[in-house]
Amino acid sequence: MPDAPLISVRDLSKHFRTFKRREGVWGAIRNLVKRDYQAVHAVDRVTFEIQRGDMVGYIGPNGAGKSTTIKMLTGILVPTGGEIRSNGFVPWEQRRQYVKTIGVVFGQRTQLWWDIAVVESFKLLRKIYDVSQRDYDERMELFNHVLKLKDYLDTPVRKLSLGERMRCDLAAALLHNPPILFLDEPTIGLDVVAKDHIRQFLKEINQRYRTTVLLTTHDLDDIEELCKRIMIIDHGRLLYDGPLALLKQKLLRTKQVKFVVKDSEQAARLPALENDGLKIEPVDHLTYRIVFDRTKISVADLLRQILAEVEVRDLLIEDEPIEEIVKRIYAGEALKEVSA
Amino acid sequence: MNLKNIRVVYNKERMDMLRDRRTVFNMLLFPLIMFPIISIGFNRMENMFREKAKKEAAQIMVLGAAHAPELDARLRASGKFEILPLAADFKQQISDKKLRAAVEFSPGFEQALHAAGGVSPTLTLYFYRTELRSELAVRGLEELIGKYRTEIVQGRVVSQGMSAASLTPVITKEQNVASAEKVSGVRMGAIIPYFIIIFCLMGALHPAMDLTAGEKERGTLETILASAVSRGELVMGKFLLVLTTSLITAVISLISYSATLKFAPSAAARGVSGAAKDMTIHFSLQAVLMVFVMVLPLAVLFAATLVAISLMARSYKEAQSYTGPIMLAAIVPAIASILPGIELNPALALIPVLNVSLVSKELLSGSLPWASIAVVFISTSFYAAIALAIAVLQFQREEVLFRA
Repeated sequence: MPDAPLISVRDLSKHFRTFKRREGVWGAIRNLVKRDYQAVHAVDRVTFEIQRGDMVGYIGPNGAGKSTTIKMLTGILVPTGGEIRSNGFVPWEQRRQYVKTIGVVFGQRTQLWWDIAVVESFKLLRKIYDVSQRDYDERMELFNHVLKLKDYLDTPVRKLSLGERMRCDLAAALLHNPPILFLDEPTIGLDVVAKDHIRQFLKEINQRYRTTVLLTTHDLDDIEELCKRIMIIDHGRLLYDGPLALLKQKLLRTKQVKFVVKDSEQAARLPALENDGLKIEPVDHLTYRIVFDRTKISVADLLRQILAEVEVRDLLIEDEPIEEIVKRIYAGEALKEVSA
Repeated sequence: MNLKNIRVVYNKERMDMLRDRRTVFNMLLFPLIMFPIISIGFNRMENMFREKAKKEAAQIMVLGAAHAPELDARLRASGKFEILPLAADFKQQISDKKLRAAVEFSPGFEQALHAAGGVSPTLTLYFYRTELRSELAVRGLEELIGKYRTEIVQGRVVSQGMSAASLTPVITKEQNVASAEKVSGVRMGAIIPYFIIIFCLMGALHPAMDLTAGEKERGTLETILASAVSRGELVMGKFLLVLTTSLITAVISLISYSATLKFAPSAAARGVSGAAKDMTIHFSLQAVLMVFVMVLPLAVLFAATLVAISLMARSYKEAQSYTGPIMLAAIVPAIASILPGIELNPALALIPVLNVSLVSKELLSGSLPWASIAVVFISTSFYAAIALAIAVLQFQREEVLFRA
């Protein structure tokens, strides 16, 4: 029998009231007098469970409800309805005790104090979270080792680059060694190298401490590198919750074959391949691409056809990029296929 | 609420604050240098203008000088006037501000004056009303002619065999019975509470906005809300820091003011209150301390109100527009207390700001109205408690913290 889930969320909802702004000058004047309110269902009856040691990706377009969910999970916002049980706590009711067991990083925010040196922020956090000096030193050593913080510990936060700041923020969030880590877009705006640093670090703490991680992101490479499981949310509703592999398997309708022909004489013979709805797109000089539906034709069959017709110098078979799948999910067309 | 956590928040905000030059300037430097600069500056300026006016002799023209040789000689000898040669277009010259004024003696002026029982001779002054220097020149002329007139009258009285004293049958004398403290207290006392209140407010303003709306703007609010500090502790820590800066600013302004009074008393007195030049200023230490006790709940009221209001703003800039009316609402009653004739009474003792201002005025003039002091202190504390409660409640409201 599996362990009881570390985080359990049931029918979680959050509604906001926003007022509708009318257009134009006259509308603006009327707004001052009478306001029409509109309920926004930022999160709508979301249910999921997360086991200890899991790393779960939480994705969705802007305004889908990701951050609102994180804010409720961290106890900043009180839900309109539903339940959260996280590490044995109801976040908004036992916030003080609860947050000592979690770490939070908001990618576009910082918990480090803007005008003061990074190390001062760490010292203050140590006091807030009652971390003993020994544990503090030990963890700082690990962070220095993995995140290479040493060089800018004495720099005020405002002078750090985004990547440096994010590393410091991660360290700050993990100073009290929490079993749960919430990350809201941890790699947003970072360059490739910085992203890689962050990902390596997350993998390391996940393996070393069995830290449970829930991260929201727009960057699907984050998910592919870090998470076995993803949850997709849009308009406040959970659209998919399951293994990344399953999502790919179910939704990967198309594959593509990219190939380079020997010379232009060979290239001239290509149109002969265009039957059964196969379409050849030129990519580069002598390089072509065929996107095909794998339910209609197998890879082996297609390759046989190509090789029979033209002389090929190089060949590459690729899955549909995951971005394309997610785009289809957001567009709503993939929903039926998943539940099927 | 946990005192340790409040202290952590407080220390963190203080450290943040002290790195910010704007705060340090507003809190420490500005109140420190404002009084000396205002008072000494005003004094300098006044002296400068006076010196300049003194040096500058007014250009006038004397028409019909031959009819009044004696007065003409006096005008020339006084040194206050520069007498220009006659010109027919003297009126035009006055209009053009080339000439300040002109005096015209009627024919046979001095002859008529010395002839017994004759008709009084006339003298015409030409000037340009509303032109300051022209009016000053005429005033100088009138003064000189007035003196001459008195001499003539005295000469006539004496020549009639009467004593010159008969011209002033009654002599009035004024004797001030109020103590020096009372006089200076009423004058200075009116203005000092005003300054303390303004500086209390000014000292609180920037930190209140920075610690709330500024925090939202920098995007650090979410993270601090997600930390192991309760919202109540967060408000208290922030509020206490705002209160501290407010009080520090007020104390520094008072010290600076006292020092200016001590080292350049006449300058300070004239510069700030327009009081008499030779006035001595002294308050008892007890009065000053009492004023501080009265200001304490007021500072709490200011700090809590500003925190509660600025938290609603999404950015520092927005907070500035929200706090504008608060500044006005506090400054108007503070100014009202300076107006003569507004005295502390049971109804006014309940009006926030005005009551503290008025009771401080009383205290500094040396009286100790215990009943009013109690009413003012209790009512202000009551308002302060309400404001603080509102500030704490604001921090519990999601629609305030996360306004979209």
